Amino acid sequence: MDISFFIFLSSGLFLGWSLGASDASNIIGTAVGTKMVKFRTAAITASIFIILGAVYAGSGASQTLGHLGSINTLPGAFMSALAAALTIYWMVNLSMPISTSQAIVGAIIGWNFFASKPTDISVLTQIVSTWVFCPILSGFIAVSLYWLTRKIVCKSHLHLLRQDSYTRIGLILAGAFGAYALGANNIANVMGVFVPSSPLHAVSLPFGLHLSGTQVLFLIGGIAIGAGVITYSHKVINTVGNGIMRMSPLMAWVVVVAQSLVLFLFASQNLQHFLLSHGLPALPLVPVSSSQAVIGAVMGIGIAKGGRNLNWKLIGHIAVSWVSTPIIAALVCYISLFFLQNVFNLEVYQ
Amino acid sequence: MFHISLSIFSQTRALENKIDLFHDKLIDATMTFKKAIRVYLEEGRSDSYRKLSKQIKLIEHDADGLRRDIENNLYTQNLIPDLRADVLQLVENLDKVINKFDEVTYKFYCERPEVPSEYHTRINELCDLSAECAENMAKASRAFFRDLSSVRDYSQKVYFIEHESDAASRKLSEAIFDSDLPLANKLQLGGFVNDIGDIADTAEDFIDSLLIFTIKRDV
Repeated sequence: MDISFFIFLSSGLFLGWSLGASDASNIIGTAVGTKMVKFRTAAITASIFIILGAVYAGSGASQTLGHLGSINTLPGAFMSALAAALTIYWMVNLSMPISTSQAIVGAIIGWNFFASKPTDISVLTQIVSTWVFCPILSGFIAVSLYWLTRKIVCKSHLHLLRQDSYTRIGLILAGAFGAYALGANNIANVMGVFVPSSPLHAVSLPFGLHLSGTQVLFLIGGIAIGAGVITYSHKVINTVGNGIMRMSPLMAWVVVVAQSLVLFLFASQNLQHFLLSHGLPALPLVPVSSSQAVIGAVMGIGIAKGGRNLNWKLIGHIAVSWVSTPIIAALVCYISLFFLQNVFNLEVYQ
Repeated sequence: MFHISLSIFSQTRALENKIDLFHDKLIDATMTFKKAIRVYLEEGRSDSYRKLSKQIKLIEHDADGLRRDIENNLYTQNLIPDLRADVLQLVENLDKVINKFDEVTYKFYCERPEVPSEYHTRINELCDLSAECAENMAKASRAFFRDLSSVRDYSQKVYFIEHESDAASRKLSEAIFDSDLPLANKLQLGGFVNDIGDIADTAEDFIDSLLIFTIKRDV
């Protein structure tokens, strides 16, 4: 295999690292922010499950992203991923819990423009509509879960300390599920652009495990996300864990479960097959923003509780970042591709 | 994972028992206090009173030990991080009420006030009200840990009884200072009435903070 593949893949790995740093706050931020789970425990658990989700359930959302724009050269994929990563890195430094999905979609559209390839409007519409639907769905799930949990807790007459123990275990399990769903849904953002041009082959592992070429790519991406979680997610956790609304550990659990369910619904091919085979409407497999999902959940609960605790200023900042992220990523990608093609003489599209 | 979970639950259960035991000590203190004052009024500083006074001292000592254990365990096991400070404050304030029972019984033992028989009934009533106030405070506090919806019911009782106790205490003080007793006796008895009434006031202060903590603890 050509070593240049790994050089070009480095931008995807950087993007994965950025995603881990920013989006981990959505799955472990509330647990760590409320001091219910130690950062180390949460980060290691999340990293393992992100890798599992990416490898075993990452292909569905990745295919949808491939339909938006099939970046057909490694330098083009490198620059698209780098543009998205730089956008995210910059936003993370501003402590904004931003959307990786929007950054990569912006970068792909930037590449489409540069390569004069048509952007599939129906796929783009599908993706953009999930950006709106995702936080709303997350909010509804969160409110339902919140009332159900509240009712159970009030009826059960559990001792405060016992409730605390159950909540801790619940937060770790929800974090693991959330990490699996994040890996499954968001690996498309990190490695999706490399799938068409990846030279990786299938490998056989001990215990009869078998990974396809795409799964090997996703494994590498998953490890990069895990590294981001462990090394840099602490800063953003301080924003999401405590910034939007004061949350009790039980509410934190509700938020994590709600956004994990949303990510899982938009990522699971098995669930989609199950729903379709029973004649039920299925959600499209689209990489959605875990930041949008978590904010939808927090806002849903906030509104259900009367909306007095909400930090509207921070929510406004986040909304601004949702709009600015794809635009910045598209612009950065377009300009960078121009330099890559004309300064370095690299083929950025075919 | 399974082993860790079991270990967390066994530690939690032990601490739950200690918190329950701490509340038991408070109830014991209220009952013993009522009995001790009755005995004092009937017999003065008799052997029976001495025993009851020692009993309260012992309860107070045990409660101190439990309080320290609870505080240490909450910190060393990193339990309820969001409510730990509130629970520590609750335990400290409950302990203050137990200390007050001990202080008043010891003061009777030490100062041996002469209480004219016409005040016995009213002092007993005041003691009953203060003890009842503390008892309902303990119930409210216990409910905070297990059954939030009951906290309000017990709190309301505390507020009501404290009001009664205030009225009883004022009337008794007025009666004492209107009497023909020497001024020194009046001041001494007035001090005792204040000390007994203080128990109900402390319980009321406790309930004020408990209600705030209950709002925070709500899911």
